[in-house]
Amino acid sequence: MSVRDLSGSRRWLAFVCCCAWFLFTIFPLYWVAITSLKTPPDVVGGPTYLPFVDFQPTLKAWRELLSGTRGEFFSNFWSSSIVALSSSVFATLLGAMAAYALVRFPFRVRLLSGVAFVVVAMGGFLLGRDVMGIAPASASILAFCVALALSVFINRFPLPGKVMGNDDIVFWFVSQRLFPPIVVAFALFLLYTEMGKLGFKMTDTYLGLTLAYVAFSLPIVVWLMRDFISALPLEVEEAAMVDNVPHWRIFFGIVLPMCRPGLIATFVITLAFTWNEFLFALFLTNSEWQTLPVLIAGQNSQRGDEWWAISAAALVAIIPMVVVAALLGRLMKSGLLSGAVK
Amino acid sequence: MTRDDPVKYFFLWPAFLVVLAMAIFPLIFSLANSFMSLRLVPPMPARFVGLDNYADLLQNPRFWQTVKTTSIIAFTAVAIQFIIGFALALALAKRVRGADFFRTSFLMPMLVAPVAVALMARQILNPSMGPLNQVASFLGFPNLPYLTDANWALGSLIAVEIWQWTPFVILLLLAGLQGLPDDVYEAAELEGASPWQQFWSITFPMMLPISAAVIFIRIVESFKIIDTVFVMTGGGPGIATETLTLFAYQEGFKKFNLGYTSALSFLFLAVVLILSLVYLALLKPYLEKYK
Repeated sequence: MSVRDLSGSRRWLAFVCCCAWFLFTIFPLYWVAITSLKTPPDVVGGPTYLPFVDFQPTLKAWRELLSGTRGEFFSNFWSSSIVALSSSVFATLLGAMAAYALVRFPFRVRLLSGVAFVVVAMGGFLLGRDVMGIAPASASILAFCVALALSVFINRFPLPGKVMGNDDIVFWFVSQRLFPPIVVAFALFLLYTEMGKLGFKMTDTYLGLTLAYVAFSLPIVVWLMRDFISALPLEVEEAAMVDNVPHWRIFFGIVLPMCRPGLIATFVITLAFTWNEFLFALFLTNSEWQTLPVLIAGQNSQRGDEWWAISAAALVAIIPMVVVAALLGRLMKSGLLSGAVK
Repeated sequence: MTRDDPVKYFFLWPAFLVVLAMAIFPLIFSLANSFMSLRLVPPMPARFVGLDNYADLLQNPRFWQTVKTTSIIAFTAVAIQFIIGFALALALAKRVRGADFFRTSFLMPMLVAPVAVALMARQILNPSMGPLNQVASFLGFPNLPYLTDANWALGSLIAVEIWQWTPFVILLLLAGLQGLPDDVYEAAELEGASPWQQFWSITFPMMLPISAAVIFIRIVESFKIIDTVFVMTGGGPGIATETLTLFAYQEGFKKFNLGYTSALSFLFLAVVLILSLVYLALLKPYLEKYK
């Protein structure tokens, strides 16, 4: 027992506080769980607390939900699962690759070429749409490509102004989390609508939602994976380089397997984020690829006080993540995440 | 050994391009629109109006009301989250009885979809069918209109935020506490410092940088709140609990006033940036003092 452990009455006080918080944490979850087992009269007749004592539990709400008699729910469940799983996989993979590049190689970006990108992209878009009268979607794509090509090109020249290194690039990634997502969600909705007019359907598609989720998970993935990768020993990679193993094989064959615990932790965090995400799904989907959170949010206005049915639907969204919580607890216990918060 | 292989671009560019195209470009697009008068319903051609949208918004009392509401929710909730979270993280770090069990179960709320949390809260706070009012009347308190009175609705939203996000504070602070060196505490013990003194002169100062980071992340994230408000109160009663994101959603999705909404989201961004800069400036002397 170390000197930092509690002793005597303090130990008991801490225990009592933890129990109180545990009750506060668990009660709402317990409440939806038992509500989903109640019959309508049990719900409407005032609160009851204990199954078999206060009320007779029934699986009616669950049967109705699973048989689909009260509206489609499987399609939302599948679109949620597919989008959350695949965008987490892509985000973790792309983020790990970017983090590897940022840990092992030097990058130099001139501030001026970044400024050039913003100015050319915005000016080009306005010029194309409002002066030359091109369709907004084409104007956007054109402005984006021209601005990108130009800024990459001028980055080669010794321009005046600040030169940014790897830390600045990481900061650039992470700073995306600072922006209120509504700014981007709304703009993406408009851009997707314009793309739709050109014939590329983006709203309410797998691609549209997944791309948005990948982009919004990447900052946190790059940030976490950078710590995991920089903690890896260099020697193995150096030995492989001496043998002239190509870099992509070093990455996929050595680096990724070595930081597997970090990859799992990052994947789980990303998964929780994408599974629960509401705002982007609200803006970018409407029927086919609508995810569970949007469906559940709509239950309230559609169903009024049918709490037994609403509880069952909410539990479908909660249970997968409770399983994930148990997994994350295991990971934390092995001290995995302590390296990530330095 | 050469570490400057062109292959590095192959690793960085996919992520870079996705973020640039899906996050930065929409931002630029939005900024361009915010200087325009642009409507979808009824359709109206784009017209350059300069800073008019911004001026309109700054004079709109509803905008200031939502800034106030969002700030109240964010600051109150984060302050309480931090105090409770720190206490619980300390208890867990000091290996309270059943620490392993508590550590796993405390994390759960963080992973529950905010929308589902809001539905749970609506059930519990329901005036006639919810358990909270029943317990309140049992103890002799009056039945309270948790979601239909402006102040109680705000309080309920804050309580829900606390329920959901204290786990995040616990998670990060616990990781920080476990990283503190043992020898300092051993020395303090030899000197006869009381646990209270040890906390204020060792634990708290050493935890200051990570505490600052946790509070920062939580405040920035709390400012984005929409899901719980959307489901629990819908911004009501009236506009008493309308947050910035919800306001932007109403303007953009209900009125389709594109230029105005874009300007609104940029002002929102400005609010967050100003807050962050003030926060960092206020904190800097303390962080340097304990470095």
